[in-house]
Amino acid sequence: MSHVVIDLKASLKSFLRNKSTVFWTIAFPCVLILLFGAIFSQSSSKYDLYVQNQDLVAGKETYWSDALITALNTTNAPFNIKMVDSSINATDYAITNRLSSLLIISPGFDRNATIAYQTNGTGATANVTFVYDQSTSSAPIVGSILASIINQLNFGLSHGISYLNIQDLKIAPQRYGYIDFFLPGVIALTAMTTSIFTSVSISAQFRQNGVFHKLATTPLKRYEWILSRTVYNVLITYLGMSVMLILGVAVFGMKISVDAISLFLVAMASLMFTGLGMIIARFVKDPDGADAAANAITFPMMFLSGTFFPLSQMPLFLQAIAQVLPLTYVSDGLRASMIFGQSQTAFLNTGIITVLGIACILIGSWITKWEED
Amino acid sequence: MSNDNSIQVDGLTKCYGDLVAVNGISFTVNRGEIFAFLGPNGAGKTTTVEMLECLRKPTSGKAFVLGLDIAKDQMAIKKRTGVLPQDFYTYERLTVKETIQYYAGMFNSHPDVDGLIKLVDLEDKKNVLFKHLSGGLKQRLGIAVALVNDPEVIFLDEPSAGLDPKARHGVWHLIDGLHKQDKTVFLTTHYMEEAEILASRVGIIHNGNIVAMDTPQGLISEYGKRNLLILKQTSPRAVPNIEKLGIKAKYDGATGDVTAHLNHGVTVSEVLHSLSSSDIPFGELQLKRSSLEDVFLNLTGQTLGEEEGTL
Repeated sequence: MSHVVIDLKASLKSFLRNKSTVFWTIAFPCVLILLFGAIFSQSSSKYDLYVQNQDLVAGKETYWSDALITALNTTNAPFNIKMVDSSINATDYAITNRLSSLLIISPGFDRNATIAYQTNGTGATANVTFVYDQSTSSAPIVGSILASIINQLNFGLSHGISYLNIQDLKIAPQRYGYIDFFLPGVIALTAMTTSIFTSVSISAQFRQNGVFHKLATTPLKRYEWILSRTVYNVLITYLGMSVMLILGVAVFGMKISVDAISLFLVAMASLMFTGLGMIIARFVKDPDGADAAANAITFPMMFLSGTFFPLSQMPLFLQAIAQVLPLTYVSDGLRASMIFGQSQTAFLNTGIITVLGIACILIGSWITKWEED
Repeated sequence: MSNDNSIQVDGLTKCYGDLVAVNGISFTVNRGEIFAFLGPNGAGKTTTVEMLECLRKPTSGKAFVLGLDIAKDQMAIKKRTGVLPQDFYTYERLTVKETIQYYAGMFNSHPDVDGLIKLVDLEDKKNVLFKHLSGGLKQRLGIAVALVNDPEVIFLDEPSAGLDPKARHGVWHLIDGLHKQDKTVFLTTHYMEEAEILASRVGIIHNGNIVAMDTPQGLISEYGKRNLLILKQTSPRAVPNIEKLGIKAKYDGATGDVTAHLNHGVTVSEVLHSLSSSDIPFGELQLKRSSLEDVFLNLTGQTLGEEEGTL
């Protein structure tokens, strides 16, 4: 184990002496946060949400549709609910009046919700339609808050909790801005880029310039070295994360809860991307080529995993792609744990990333050779 | 194996697919000697030394380092040997002193770090980062690193390749010093001068086979029996004149020189006598002693400078 500590110290020393790496590891995410935060952050306290309830019986709101509107109207949710007449074409109305967010509760919502509730979700699905103007900055935020409220309702349903309990669920402990969405995404992004690029470039460079060769002649074991590099990547990611958190709190006044689950998720994400980097470096042996391969993997993930914009804003086929990208689960899990306080979602995503992380690091360690035989 | 052997190699073979890099070689290296493996690039030197360092698995054959089997006792061998790889490289942003401490840590050893720095003459560079060292200084640091565990056997793979003559002599001086500390040194090189100056014994390796093995002097007297005669600024007529004595001669039109390898029977005075009786003038006469270069040429028909690709 002392070998791990010695190698880790050497790696950290090297990191701190490499000014440009330090700068990019820490400054780049901060610039992103400041820039996007400043552009998209709003000072308005609540978001306007227009709601059209088409699910009426004899002119009266049905039980479930009323329940949903009540949930949206709770003091916790940051919405100014504005009702729209049920007889007009709501989509046209939204276009004409340049509304940014409109929720339509379709006829049959109550019936479907009741069936879903009785059949544990197998008999029917109760749909609402979210109409929004994607050119406005508030729509994605409203969309993600709506999604989280509906998720919580679903969670209640699927666990057979009666409707009345919904009021008690912590749907929205605070008001959310774009920065609340964005910052966990950038932390996930940093975990990915730091770990993949460090892992790829170190593996490729050490192989090319012969450091592996020399290390292989010492009693240092391969797994000790891999352990050291993994811990190193986690520490560097934590370093970047803490600077971002300080920025979020100091500049944007965010309320962030950094709990054990979010720290664990970041560590597992780092583990996963370290392993992924080792796998890339095994197959693309030239350092420049390995860097390009790492770019080819990280770049699409950056944009398709809901780092900058909520997934719900993307076309369906891109959303489908996002579902298979690991970064999606890191971002979602971090948002759930650090911002929205949704422990179920956080646990689920952390579980997925833990399994993937262990698999990636095991495969990466297994196929990484110091020497070609 | 006998206690006097530091390294014993028996029928060691390494194949890469159809290519036989090392072809069933056998040799022993005695305790305390400097043994040099001399051969061109691609001859199988590095493959052999890396099998002895437990970095590559032999295809067949056996080898023992300090009595330890390279197939079974890798960790024990690593702990008791020191290695300078070809083109030593390490963490770029560690200083000379930190690098030595790093590797000492890997061996759980506590060497006299300042003493090692002094030994390789890097005292004024001890706080300089590795990446700022010149090639010669990097190699010297590599030698210090190879000594952190006070090894009994030291493997030096092309220790002076790519260095300028001054740096090369510095490295030779160091290696000679190791010998005086009673350490066994296994050295690979494609510089015949390096082998001739440093080694107590030389193995000549060519296409994966050891073609000769002896002391440098033994090799020269056995295989290098042709001293080279050079006649400066002479006439092309010297060629037939010398060749009628029964030895080959060559005229170089650019320099006007004639060179001839002297066979046992033919002496310099015979050549001179023949030239003067035919009235052939020459500017200057040089006689070059046979070297390992000639030994290699005689044994393989190639010069050491010929590149054959690297394995």
